[in-house]
Amino acid sequence: MSQEANIDDVQEPITSAPPEVRQIIERVWKLEKGRLDKKINSHVNDNILDIIKEEVR
Amino acid sequence: MKLTSIKLCNFRSFYGTTPEMIIAGGDAQNTTIIHGNNGSGKTSLLNAFTWVLYDKFSAAFASIEQLVNKRAIAETQKGQAVECWVEIGWEHEGKRYRVKRACRGYKNEGDFDAGKTQLTMWVGGDDGKWNIPIQQPDDIINQILPATLHQYFFFDGERIEEIVRSDKKAEIAEATKIFLGVEVINRSIRHLGDAKKTLENDLKAIGDSEIKQLLRQQEKIERERERITKRQTEIKEELEYQQTFKKETSNRLRELSAAKELQERWQDLESQKAANQEEYKKTKEALKKVISARGYTVLLSETTSQFRGIINDLKQRGELTSGISREFVNDLLNSQRCICGAELHEGNHSHTHVSTWLNKAGSSAVEETAIRMLAQVDEIDKQAIGFWEEVDREQTRINQLRQSISQIEGDLDNIQERLRKDANEEISSLQKRLDEIESKIDELNREQGANQQQIAQLTTEIEGLNKQIAKQKLNEDKQTLAQRRINATQDAIERLTEVRNRQEQQFRLQLEKRVQEIFTEISVTPYIPKISDKYELTLVENTTGVEAPVAASTGENQILSLSFIASIIDKVREWSEKRKMMMIPDSSTFPIVMDSPFGSLDENSRRHIAKTIPQLANQLIVLVTKTQWRGEVEAEITDRIGREYVLTYYSSKPDCEQDYIELSGERYPLVKQSPNEFEYTEIMEVERDR
Repeated sequence: MSQEANIDDVQEPITSAPPEVRQIIERVWKLEKGRLDKKINSHVNDNILDIIKEEVR
Repeated sequence: MKLTSIKLCNFRSFYGTTPEMIIAGGDAQNTTIIHGNNGSGKTSLLNAFTWVLYDKFSAAFASIEQLVNKRAIAETQKGQAVECWVEIGWEHEGKRYRVKRACRGYKNEGDFDAGKTQLTMWVGGDDGKWNIPIQQPDDIINQILPATLHQYFFFDGERIEEIVRSDKKAEIAEATKIFLGVEVINRSIRHLGDAKKTLENDLKAIGDSEIKQLLRQQEKIERERERITKRQTEIKEELEYQQTFKKETSNRLRELSAAKELQERWQDLESQKAANQEEYKKTKEALKKVISARGYTVLLSETTSQFRGIINDLKQRGELTSGISREFVNDLLNSQRCICGAELHEGNHSHTHVSTWLNKAGSSAVEETAIRMLAQVDEIDKQAIGFWEEVDREQTRINQLRQSISQIEGDLDNIQERLRKDANEEISSLQKRLDEIESKIDELNREQGANQQQIAQLTTEIEGLNKQIAKQKLNEDKQTLAQRRINATQDAIERLTEVRNRQEQQFRLQLEKRVQEIFTEISVTPYIPKISDKYELTLVENTTGVEAPVAASTGENQILSLSFIASIIDKVREWSEKRKMMMIPDSSTFPIVMDSPFGSLDENSRRHIAKTIPQLANQLIVLVTKTQWRGEVEAEITDRIGREYVLTYYSSKPDCEQDYIELSGERYPLVKQSPNEFEYTEIMEVERDR
């Protein structure tokens, strides 16, 4: 990919994902963003598991 | 985050409540200049921003303990509280925010205790109302502008080069990764990987499904049952055919006059045989019924004899007398006459004799029950005898019937034998054919019976398998789901990794290019800024054809740091304008609050930076001394000023030198004599004609 490639390409793997995968990515991303300032990662795995289980039923 | 205002109360050198300082936020005139001499509170003002937002002070902020204004403390009665606070306002994604951090101090005998700080946030709604958000204010601030990034936006211009100092490199690289969203992606990938491992363990726990094998087994059994059922239909048809054939053959045989007599006899015997067989069946049924209804009686003989033993024992011990009851003896004595006719008078022999029976006789109620039970026990014993008699009778009958059936069969055999050996060939052949039909029917009947049993057994097996399959089906569903979840997680990891790679290409390299452009424009050196794949910023030189790190001067590092900050803000703004990106900060607006800029820079660099920063930053707040302002900075920035303030320092020094600054033809006091023994600062707004 050239350096000048369209910025849309950066997000392409997410926009082209199946809906459930896209939902997982977006929700995990929001979760991680919300806790960026937190050093301790307790419960984050449970939260991510919940997201996966909710999105893939 | 677009800053809109700041207001202070008893914060450091600022006495009382200051007027609200409005912060410029226009497109062209995006700069706010705050003039102040050394010691007037410029650094305090910079720290007011970081304190209210993050409860943090810059490294240069010497005495954190002296947060509360001294004059305010002095003017407070002992035991009273002094309030110190900073309130700022900003806009972010169409919402208005106000945050106030307050600290209440108490004046005691000789000392002053500062309490904990309290943070309050209000969010302005479209209806003009201000609400307290449900979420923690710290969390909201961190989501808008993470604390780790604050040194990018609120910094001491004279120490700005610390950003690129080697001991801070990792910290700044971390902050850059957070800023560009790389850290979020890294954490997402790492934690999704952990979740995937957990899901794989779950899958292992469910275990391998046996469903395929069970289904194969079920299919096999069902095929077998189908085959047998089909065969049963064939047998049925074949039997019907054979019966018809038998009938026809018999009829033909009877029609032949010579055989007629024998055939009639045979027919007669056949019906006798059928009647006997019917009787035999009935007798067997009767026997079954007798055994099931009364068979138990024969098993009770031991119990009945035990019962008799108990009764006899009771009788012998006189606890149960038979024949005469007390009631009967009493009646005799009352009627004064015995059953033998003798008179019973008190004292006579007969009376005494009869009276002695009173002691021997038992109660009629107990006796009666015992007698009744004895009768029932006798009945059981009798029934047992009757049962055996009946069984014997039925069995005799069964034997008789068996004999007579066998007799009839013998007779039939004889007739058939005769027919078989009949001189008339047709008769003998017909009989032989009948024999064959018989044996065929017999064979078919046996096969039919065996098949029926097999079908029943196979049906039971299929039912059992169905139950097992249902159970496995549930497991298989769970397995499929677990597998789908693992696949989706893996897919998410792969896609995020790809996004990270592409972002790497796009963001890091574009950022590096921009830093290089800005740095080259400002600096006269031939050095090249580089951003490593770890997002560490370095300065290299390439004069010998090989890249080598530069031991840069303070000035070079200041230029590098400012170029870096400016390029980050510039690139993020560009990326977010192109498209709302998920991975980069929500907003494209970032303020720069800079205290005493460009300390160690030469004239040329100062001019370049003064020109560049207002262009690249969305919002600029510069705190300057008179000497920092005068000259090239003033020349480059004046047109960009949206708001301007002067910090007037009231000195308690008895013969302090007063100072002024001339702005837009007006004189503003920078230093004045304090009317009391305290030093403090007041804020004054500068009004320029535009």
